[in-house]
Amino acid sequence: MKKGENFINKLREKITIKDVSRMPEEQITVTVDRSDLPEAVRMLYYDMGGWLVTMIPNDERPLNGNYAVYYVLSMEGGKMTADDELSSDEKCWITVKAYIPANDPTYPSVTRLVPAAVWYEREAYDMLGLVAEGLPDPRRLVVSDDWPEGLYPMRKDSMEYNFRPDPYSHEEEPEYEFYHPEGEGLVDVPLGPLHITSDEPGHFRLYCEGDQIIDADYRLFYQHRGMEKLAENRMNYDQMGFLAERVCGICGYAHATACIEAAERAIDMEIPRRAQALRIINQEIERLHSHMLNIGLACEVTGNINAFMHIFRIREFSMELAQLISGGRKTYGNVVVGGMRRDVNGKEIRRGLELLDTMETQLKEVWEAVMEDDSQIERWKGVGVLDRQVARDFSPVGPNVRGSGFKRDTRYDHPFDFHDEIDFEVCYEEGGDVFARETVRYKELLQSISIIRQCFELMPSGDIVAPHNRKIVPQAYALANNEAPRGENIHWIMHGGSQKVYRWRCRAATYNNWPTLRYQFRGNTIADAALIVCSMDPCYSCTDRVTVVDVKSKKSKILTHKDLKRYSQTLKDSPLKGM
Amino acid sequence: MKLLDMTRKYGSATYEYPFAPYTVADGFRGKPEYDYDKCIGCTACGVACPSNAINVELNEAKDKLVWKFDCGRCIYCGRCDEVCPTNAVMLGSDFETAVKFNKEDLIETGELDVEYCQKCGKVFTTKRLIAYCVENFKKVGWSERVIEEKTKYITTCPECKKAESVELVSKHYSKGVKK
Repeated sequence: MKKGENFINKLREKITIKDVSRMPEEQITVTVDRSDLPEAVRMLYYDMGGWLVTMIPNDERPLNGNYAVYYVLSMEGGKMTADDELSSDEKCWITVKAYIPANDPTYPSVTRLVPAAVWYEREAYDMLGLVAEGLPDPRRLVVSDDWPEGLYPMRKDSMEYNFRPDPYSHEEEPEYEFYHPEGEGLVDVPLGPLHITSDEPGHFRLYCEGDQIIDADYRLFYQHRGMEKLAENRMNYDQMGFLAERVCGICGYAHATACIEAAERAIDMEIPRRAQALRIINQEIERLHSHMLNIGLACEVTGNINAFMHIFRIREFSMELAQLISGGRKTYGNVVVGGMRRDVNGKEIRRGLELLDTMETQLKEVWEAVMEDDSQIERWKGVGVLDRQVARDFSPVGPNVRGSGFKRDTRYDHPFDFHDEIDFEVCYEEGGDVFARETVRYKELLQSISIIRQCFELMPSGDIVAPHNRKIVPQAYALANNEAPRGENIHWIMHGGSQKVYRWRCRAATYNNWPTLRYQFRGNTIADAALIVCSMDPCYSCTDRVTVVDVKSKKSKILTHKDLKRYSQTLKDSPLKGM
Repeated sequence: MKLLDMTRKYGSATYEYPFAPYTVADGFRGKPEYDYDKCIGCTACGVACPSNAINVELNEAKDKLVWKFDCGRCIYCGRCDEVCPTNAVMLGSDFETAVKFNKEDLIETGELDVEYCQKCGKVFTTKRLIAYCVENFKKVGWSERVIEEKTKYITTCPECKKAESVELVSKHYSKGVKK
């Protein structure tokens, strides 16, 4: 029996399957009628242990006259208990595809049965005008509030990629509707548009009773750059990898690799083993500096500046390692379709190993010191708990889900590149709080160091670029996965004609993590809000002020960045006093 | 307290930079350095550049080929370094690329003399590219006659070459060609 056949047979019992295709082998696409879509996704998600990794709305009118939606599930088992996991030869990707006629662009919402789909379906409306009937939250997600009605940027015929609609004047700009909880005496605390720890834009509304957060809502995507549209209109594959790198300023390398690997997998291209090992080395270097940055910030936001400085001092070694291996302080500009552009030599490896040793010893020292600091642990423990059931419902990724005791790591579930030769442990912690997430990150740092050492040792010699003997096949598609420091990145590529991409869907790790944040906020104090967002390690960009509005008395107060930061570091003299 | 002990143990970690120079690793990918004397104007770097930092175009008067590099657009990938046949563009180790107030200072240019087609007299390439090719012909060891023939060929613009080929073909196979 072929991989994934058992899932399809189970699906057949209840649902008529129109077509099954495999492209590539372990990625199965099942086409169903759009009315069967929610049930099919639900069965795969809850009954057979799938996790929603991405959803791709696609304008296929030039190809077959329809729109299409692809719900991609990673079949790996529910993981709610220790033995609730599929064996490694059963794990695969299943894509549920449904066509949506062009004259009636609606489909039944999957979100009612599988909450994880909520952001994807909101985005599908913004970008392509596909209406999910019965979607509980139909507000705008990606496009700005003053974006013209009825202009759907990702439709092939809607607009040029460089078209800029006229902005509204400030007075006429429509308001985004935040969801308010009901109740007496609630204080509405907007946090943002820029966030305190990450210096990136995102607007949070915290609904507080006293200092306690009752509920939260948020508006993001202030930095939407329209990269997908840009890539399919004017980029070729040489440029796309470099564009994908710019999705993120920290984990860009993981995006580039995922993007390029999706293009490679779609045409079934094997890259040399040495190039695979080099890709992993660069990725793990990225994880080293990203995790250290996050642990450092989690200390800083709670006022432990000393630990923050020490961790950043050690982080500098990882930057030096990056410089050595990739030629830049960021590991950018190295991946191309077919392999890598830069090889390493013996001298670099020797120096690299020295740096790894220094990093390992000093990291252990700092972590030990932080662990002995009770006041630090107290700020981390029990804060921002991600409930296991919430995690199961929303498919979060990375240290966020591993901190809640799920053994979910795409390097382990769907090994790619050189990972089949490498021994590594999936680090996970019970508890689901900030403490658990930071512990997972610390353990992963040690794992990364070990992975880089193994790669240096096991790396075969030879070419780093595959021979040029493959052609791009139009309409061939594949997805590629990659474990970025924040969780798995999924890129999906459908090739087009003339060496260009037809559709590129890039799903960053944090996209799956945001929807759970609301649940993590509940019951915590506003002094911890910044810490909770920080511990999720979000990828977005922070403002200098926070406005506090008292719903009852209609009083408002502007808190400066300094005020809130001081309050979250010292926990003294609440800035809300006297409201 | 342990953290304070560590501070004493490791001492100051701050670099002296910018008061003392910061040394980068060998093979660091810094700002591309342009050697005007080596450049032959083949435009390979302009084609390879993924972010359009390098543009090679004729100037308005159409008498010079202008190699133009905008450091503000550069992503330091080093594609230009890879494709350059004469090593005129190579990545250096310079990372201090900030300019004061004037964005124009980020732009670097080099003007190359152009060659005209020996038949129609239109601009089509640079003098240096022709010289580079001729020099390589000599290295191959061809006879004077062949070199002369080849040189004539490469100093003809693509348009004239096309016309010439058509003429040649129709001369030998005049039967099927309607006049």
